[in-house]
Amino acid sequence: MTATTGELTTAEQVREAIMDARRDVTPVEIRSGGSVLDRLPTGDHPVLSVAGMTGVVAHAAEDLTVTVRAGTPLTELSQVLADAGQECPIEPTGGAGSTVGGRIATALAGPRQLGAGRVRDWLLRIRFVTGAGQIATAGGVTVKDVTGYDLCRLMTGSWGTLGVITEVTLKLRPLARHRAWYATDRPRHDLDALLYRPSASITTRERTHVLLEGHPDDAAEQAALAALVPADPPTLPVTARASVDPARLVGLVEECETLGLVWAAQDGVGVCHLDGDGDRLDAARTAAEKRGGALLVLDPHLQRPAFGSRGSSPIDERVRRTLDPDAVLAPWRWTR
Amino acid sequence: MTTTEGARRRPWARRAAAKAGPLPWLEAGSGLTDRERALLTAVHGLVGDDGLRAGELGRATYRRDASFLNADPLGVALPWTVEQTAAVVRACRDHGVPFTPRAAGTGLAGGATPTGEGGVRPLVVSVARMDRLRELDVTNRRAWVEPGLVNARLGRAAAVHGLRFAPDPASQIAATLGGNVSTNAGGIHVLTYGVMSQHVLAVELMDADGVVHLLDGTAPELAGIDLRGVSVGGEGTLGIVTGACLRLLPAPPSVGTMLAGFPSLRQAAAMVGDLVTSDRLPDAVELMDARAVGLVEGYANAGYPIDAAAVLLIEFEGLPHAVAAGIDTAEALAQANGATSVTRAQDAAERARIWKGRKAVAGAIAKRAPDFFLQDVVVPRSRLGEMLDAVVAIGERERLEILNVVHAGDGNLHPFVLFDRREQGVLDRVFAAGHDIVTTALDLDGTVTGEHGVGIEKRDFLSQVFSEDDLAVQRAVREAIEPSGLANPDKVLPSTVGCLEARMVPEGAWV
Ligand SMILES: Cc1cc2nc3c(=O)[nH]c(=O)nc-3n(C[C@H](O)[C@H](O)[C@H](O)COP(=O)(O)OP(=O)(O)OC[C@H]3O[C@@H](n4cnc5c(N)ncnc54)[C@H](O)[C@@H]3O)c2cc1C
Repeated sequence: MTATTGELTTAEQVREAIMDARRDVTPVEIRSGGSVLDRLPTGDHPVLSVAGMTGVVAHAAEDLTVTVRAGTPLTELSQVLADAGQECPIEPTGGAGSTVGGRIATALAGPRQLGAGRVRDWLLRIRFVTGAGQIATAGGVTVKDVTGYDLCRLMTGSWGTLGVITEVTLKLRPLARHRAWYATDRPRHDLDALLYRPSASITTRERTHVLLEGHPDDAAEQAALAALVPADPPTLPVTARASVDPARLVGLVEECETLGLVWAAQDGVGVCHLDGDGDRLDAARTAAEKRGGALLVLDPHLQRPAFGSRGSSPIDERVRRTLDPDAVLAPWRWTR
Repeated sequence: MTTTEGARRRPWARRAAAKAGPLPWLEAGSGLTDRERALLTAVHGLVGDDGLRAGELGRATYRRDASFLNADPLGVALPWTVEQTAAVVRACRDHGVPFTPRAAGTGLAGGATPTGEGGVRPLVVSVARMDRLRELDVTNRRAWVEPGLVNARLGRAAAVHGLRFAPDPASQIAATLGGNVSTNAGGIHVLTYGVMSQHVLAVELMDADGVVHLLDGTAPELAGIDLRGVSVGGEGTLGIVTGACLRLLPAPPSVGTMLAGFPSLRQAAAMVGDLVTSDRLPDAVELMDARAVGLVEGYANAGYPIDAAAVLLIEFEGLPHAVAAGIDTAEALAQANGATSVTRAQDAAERARIWKGRKAVAGAIAKRAPDFFLQDVVVPRSRLGEMLDAVVAIGERERLEILNVVHAGDGNLHPFVLFDRREQGVLDRVFAAGHDIVTTALDLDGTVTGEHGVGIEKRDFLSQVFSEDDLAVQRAVREAIEPSGLANPDKVLPSTVGCLEARMVPEGAWV
C-alpha cells in the first residue's frame, strides 16, 4: 500500500480521483476503512479510500429505511437503528470495523443469511461513481421499485471493481423481541422438520448451533421440540471461506474434515468458514471448485491468492469494460 | 458463471416438420418485405406450422399484453424447447429482425407489446410452451423451472411437500414464472418476504446468439461479479429467460388474519404507519377504499363493512405466539386509530372469506365497467395518506370513478380507473388521470412503478426519476449484457431515436 488519494468526502472528489487515475493510467485499490476488502493483498497500488465518507444521512424510521454514507462503520449504524428499535440484518461477517460500503461491495453471507436473506435483498438505492467517472444513482427510497435496471443488485458484491459506492439506502425491520443461540448434538438435517425458519444454523465438528429470534414463547417451544440447549454463539474460523451450492455443503465439509481443517458450516446457505495452513486451504479450494464453488482467502499473510480462478464470462467482461473502460478500479481483483 | 449452448431437449416435443401446405401469409401481396419473408420462412422451417402464427388472426392475439398498448408483430413463434428457441433467436439475428419475448401476456406496462423502432415489426417469441417444473428439490427447498410454468402451479406442487413459493402476484393463476422473473413481480406478501428478486437463486439467460448463460449458479458467494440480480426485471431487453432456480419456503405453521374498517382514508393510512413501526412487522397489509369495498361486496359477499371509508386486511404468519401477539397489537392499534369494526378470522374458512374480497377486485370491476386502466405507483409509507387523498382529488377533477386497492404495507398503490372506451373523449381524461397519479407520486418522493414494470408505458417518466448520467449508466449496462439490441428494443429506457410505434389506444375505442 503506497500513497492514498487523500481524504475523500464527496462523490465529486471520488469522481476526480477516478479521473486522475484514468489520466495517469494508474489503477487504484478501493478501501473503505476496515472491511473484508482491507484483508485482501493490496500490492503496490495507490488506495482510493472512502473511509472519510461517514454518517447517517436520513433515518426514516416510519418508512423503515435509512440512508447512510459508504464509510460509516456498521457498528455505528446498528447503534442508531437499535435506538429506534430497528435493524438491518447485514452485520459484519467477522471482525469489527466493517463499513456499510464495504459490506455491500463484498456481500459475503452474514451469520443470519439463512433467515434474513442476502445482503443485496436489503439494498434499496445506491449512489456510486463508475470507473468511467459517472456519478450515478440506481433504485429509490421506496421499499418496492422496478423503475429501470436493478443496478443495486449489480453493484452488490462487485468488490470495488465496477464503481465506488458512496451512499446507500437500506431497508430496515423491527428488532426481534427475543434473540438467543442454542446448540444440540443432533445433526442439522434432523432439525429441518422441527424448526420453522431459524435465523441461523451453523454446524461445527462438535455440534449444531441455532439462532432463534422472535417471540420468546415461540423460541422456548421450538427449543423444547428440537431438544436445543442455550449456548454461546459459535466462533467462526476467519482464515478463509468456501462457498458451494448448499446441497453440496455436506460433501465439502467432509472433505475439509479429512484435510484436518477447522471448519464451521452455514447450513442451508452454502458457506464453510475455515482455519488451516496454506496447503490445506489449497486443497479445500480444489474441493470447493470441484463442486462448482469458490474459496476466498482472507489472510494476506498466507501468500495465497484471495480468489481462486473463475473463468470470467463474456458478459462479466463486457459489463466491467463498459463501467470501467480504462480498468482503473482494482482490475486485478479476481486474479490475486 | 457457466455457458452452455441450448442444453436441453424435450423428448416428446413435436419436431419442426415443415409441412408443404399453403402458407397464405407468405404469398405475394401479403405486404411483407423480402427480409420479413425470409425470416418467417426460416422460422417456419424451425418450428413448423404448429409453432408459427403469422396470419392476421394469429397475430391479432399477440398485439398487446394486459395493457392497452398494442402493435402488430411480424409473427409469433411458439417453440417447445430451448433448442428451438435458440434457433429462432439466431434466425432473428441472421435476418436483423428484433424479437419480443412473451410469456402469459398479463403484463401491464406494454413490455410484451411487439413494438420496434422505425417501423420494423419484431417477431414475438413466446415461452409459454416451455412450462415444465424441471426439478422440485424438497430437501434443499428450491425448484428449477422453465419460463412458461404458471406461478400458481409451482405453488400447488410445493404445497404437497409443506412448502410454498412466496411471490404471489394477483395474476398468479395466469402469469408465468418467466414473466415474474422478467418483471421482478411483487404480490401481497412482499412486506416481509420481498419481491421476486429475493426468491431467484439462479437464472438461465439466452442471448441473441441463442447461447444460454447460467447466472450465476447456486453458490452463495462467487469469485466474480454477480449477474443474477440485474438479470431479474430485465423485461425481455436483456435476453430470454429460459430457466430459473427459485427458492421455496416452509409453509407457516400459524396464520392470523384481520379485517378492520376505518371512517376515513387518513385513519387507515395512519394505522398502516403504526403497524409498520410496531415491534412485529405484518406479512401483508392491504387497503381497499369504500368504492372498492362496495363493488366487491356486491360481487363476492366477503362480509366487508360497506359503511367504512377504507378497510385494511392484515395478516401475520409464522410461529403461533408471534402471530397471536401481532394480531393483538394490530387490534389495539386499530382501536387507537378509530376503527369502526374489527374482525379476526377464527378459522381457515373465515380467512379465505376475508381474502376472497381482495381477490375478487378484478372480477368485480369487469362486471361494473367495460374497461379499466390500472396504475402502479409507490410512495414512502409515511406519505400514503397524502397520496390517497390526491388520487381521490384526481378522480373528482377528471370525473372518473377510481378505486383504490393498495399494497399499503409497501406504500404501493394500484388505482383502478374505470371507464367505457365507447364514451367520446374519455380516454383523454383517463390518461390525464394516470399521468397525474404518477407525477403526484414523484412529488411525494415516490416512484413510477413498484411492480408492474416500465415497459413502454412508463419509460418516458424515467427521465423524471433519473439524471442523464444515471440513464447513461443503465443504457451502458443493458448494451453490455445484450449488445445486439435485438431483444425487446424500445422498452424500459427512454428512446433516444425514433418515435413510438405502439398505439396507446384500446382497439375499438372512440377517438
Ligand atoms: C389482473 C392482474 C393483476 C396483476 N397483479 C399483479 C401483482 O399483484 N403483482 C405484480 O407484480 N404484477 C401483477 N400483474 C402484472 C403481471 O401479471 C406481472 O407483470 C407478471 O409478472 C407478468 O407475467 P407474464 O407471464 O404474463 O409475462 P408477460 O406479460 O408475457 O411479459 C412481461 C414482460 O416480461 C418479458 N418476458 C416474459 N417472459 C420472458 C422471458 N422468458 N424472458 C425474457 N423476458 C420475458 C416480456 O417481454 C415483458 O416485457 C397483474 C396483472 C393483471 C392483469
